[in-house]
Amino acid sequence: MNDQLAVELPRRTEVAQAFKQDGGMVAAVLPIHYPRALLRAFGILPMEVWGPPNVDPGVGTAHVQAYVCSVVRNALSFLHSDTAKVADLILVPHACDSLQGLGSLLLDFVQPEQPVIPLYLPRSNKAQGIQFLAKEFRSIYDRLEEITQRSPSDSELMTNIRREEAADVLLAQLHSERRCLDISDYDFYRMIRSREFLPAEGFIDLAEKLRSRMGGKRERAIGVMLSGIVPEPMETLESITEFGGMVVADDLACTGRRLYPPGESEDPFRRMAERILHGPPDWSLGRSIQSRIDHMREKIRSTDAQGVIFYSVKFCEPELFDLPSLRNELDRSGIPSMTMEIDLNDPLSDQALMRLETFFEMIA
Amino acid sequence: MSDVLGPPLKVSHRHRELVAGHWLKARRADRDHKIAWVTSGAPVEILKALDFFVVYPENHAAICGAARKTVEISTEAEDAGYSQDICSYARTDIGTMLSGKTPVGRIPPPDLLLACTNICQTVLYWYRVLAQHFDVPLILIDTPFVYGGEATRHALEYTKQQMEAAIPIAERVAEKPLKQQKLEEVTRLGKMATELWLEILKRNQHHPAPISVMDQFIHMAPIVEMRGDPDTVDFYAAMLNEVDERIEGGIGAVLDERARILWDNLPIWYRLRYLAEFLGSHGVALVASTYTNAWGELAPYLDSERVMDSLALAYTYPILNRGTGHKLNTMLHMIRDYELDGAILHSDRSCKPYSVGQMDQRDRILRDKGIPALLLEADHSDSRAFSEAQVANRLAAFVEMLERLPRKHRPCPPGC
Repeated sequence: MNDQLAVELPRRTEVAQAFKQDGGMVAAVLPIHYPRALLRAFGILPMEVWGPPNVDPGVGTAHVQAYVCSVVRNALSFLHSDTAKVADLILVPHACDSLQGLGSLLLDFVQPEQPVIPLYLPRSNKAQGIQFLAKEFRSIYDRLEEITQRSPSDSELMTNIRREEAADVLLAQLHSERRCLDISDYDFYRMIRSREFLPAEGFIDLAEKLRSRMGGKRERAIGVMLSGIVPEPMETLESITEFGGMVVADDLACTGRRLYPPGESEDPFRRMAERILHGPPDWSLGRSIQSRIDHMREKIRSTDAQGVIFYSVKFCEPELFDLPSLRNELDRSGIPSMTMEIDLNDPLSDQALMRLETFFEMIA
Repeated sequence: MSDVLGPPLKVSHRHRELVAGHWLKARRADRDHKIAWVTSGAPVEILKALDFFVVYPENHAAICGAARKTVEISTEAEDAGYSQDICSYARTDIGTMLSGKTPVGRIPPPDLLLACTNICQTVLYWYRVLAQHFDVPLILIDTPFVYGGEATRHALEYTKQQMEAAIPIAERVAEKPLKQQKLEEVTRLGKMATELWLEILKRNQHHPAPISVMDQFIHMAPIVEMRGDPDTVDFYAAMLNEVDERIEGGIGAVLDERARILWDNLPIWYRLRYLAEFLGSHGVALVASTYTNAWGELAPYLDSERVMDSLALAYTYPILNRGTGHKLNTMLHMIRDYELDGAILHSDRSCKPYSVGQMDQRDRILRDKGIPALLLEADHSDSRAFSEAQVANRLAAFVEMLERLPRKHRPCPPGC
């Protein structure tokens, strides 16, 4: 297996600067779900902020209590840093009580230089939910129109939607072909997480290059599913490889839970809403625990995963609520699982690594 | 009888009968009623009008907290894999669900679940667990968060549409149709009780405050879990009368009221008495609370002549569904209207939507009002998150700061 990534990844800051040099704008976007195509239609490149890890959490600590997760605390610190100045606006989708609080704090107290736009995601994928989200996107369109002085047509919106759909189809293919890709887990996740900051067209190029290098199956690797929010610290993925494992199924909020299917409607706002609300089951969209269990079982079956690693960020209440039910149901199906709890600012402890190694020994 | 606190409310015995009677009826309510479990901010009017017997798991968990049963019961949930980092109300009720342990005897299992996200997203995660366990329908009323200003028209439309869509599901479970007249009557009674509750709270603008926030916490159960019942209206009418009598007689919640303060967030159920007596012994009266106010401030939205529109408004605008700046403004208004000298912000590990923002809110209260504001970390129900020594130290320092303030307000003599 190659230890080197098949394609070279540009750095986030380089991508942002290049995009801006071409006359574009950059949006810092908080987790989890949002309409990339809507931003792109206005010439805005979304750059996602999942924490990020290894940020001095000082500013965040001054605004939120210690029992709030490190994704939110780090994001507050990061948005206050010089690096974040590249962003022309900040989009804060609603996902949980803590991210809701983050959006509210930014608007009411922190008040960064950039405009802050909140986005509410409905907890229903029924007709009312889709209708609401389409209208929510329309009101964001109005805000972006004010900010950019541009008014993209429906046709321009549809062009952007179709491009994002093409990128997501490729992303889903990379996931399903995981065992055939001659690349380490660490590099695979670097690659698929470039979707967090690359323009769709750039990601499509990279994904196609990677797929052209498909090699033989790594039959001997022990396949596992990774479930949680974000695979940080990324070194955990190297440890999984070291212990003979491979992440073949993904239920992470930053990756697997955002494999949106193409939309159906010819109305661009409705289509963007359909895509997100018809995506994989996720607590942040109000989907039932049973739908998550069914989805995980199917993924495990189709990828021949031997176990599940629940990889939770400390204090992430929604993940913690689902955990006992998910693990019980997996137990009933004879699928072993383990939990690991992380903080974005801490390396994995030796004890955690030992538990991980033992888990792979058990399921081998 | 305390030597620092005013006499207890006479109406308390009636409150105990009302609440105990409710939980006593609950034990066997599944014999002749369909049972619904609902969140405290849910549009219960629809279910009441369909004759559901309504159980509030949050109130049950608060009872467990006050009875100091939370640790024992939530351990059952923790043993089943539920983390101590999730809301202690949820952990307690999941513990009861798994073990049957409860101080109220028995809780009838639900035929229907109704969760409304206007107080937190936690209730959604919690009720998904209940739905999975009991295998019964879960109606979700998803109320888009109001970041600033007013809710958008499409948010209100969405909320109303969900309430309308809930009716046929509830009718199917209830096995009867919803009668408009009954819905209007329940809404009218709910509005009456809510208005009375708000009046009771506002009476604390008087000096000395006739009741304390601790009294409000203890007597708020009916406005939460018996909204829409005629008995609730009668009870709060009687309570208002008694509060007026106390004002007339110059009776204060604290015998020697020298400072008046605000409480933000849920109570610390297992330390109500301790806090009241500690503060009372320093002449500090807990006069107003954003939490108890939340159960009264929505009264103007309720309208029995346009029920669904009014429910959409009332259930979109609870303080917890609005931004951190709105909560600060609410606190600043209360500080002005109730002539308060300080504020305690309970930083509640179990309630992130209430607690996130408090650090900035505290700073703004200090800066804009120039009064002491204390962030007190604890948990509304789980006593393991309460550090007696730390709380005592912080309270002592806070009281000392209050004592150094010039006395702005003098108690009114009787009859003023």
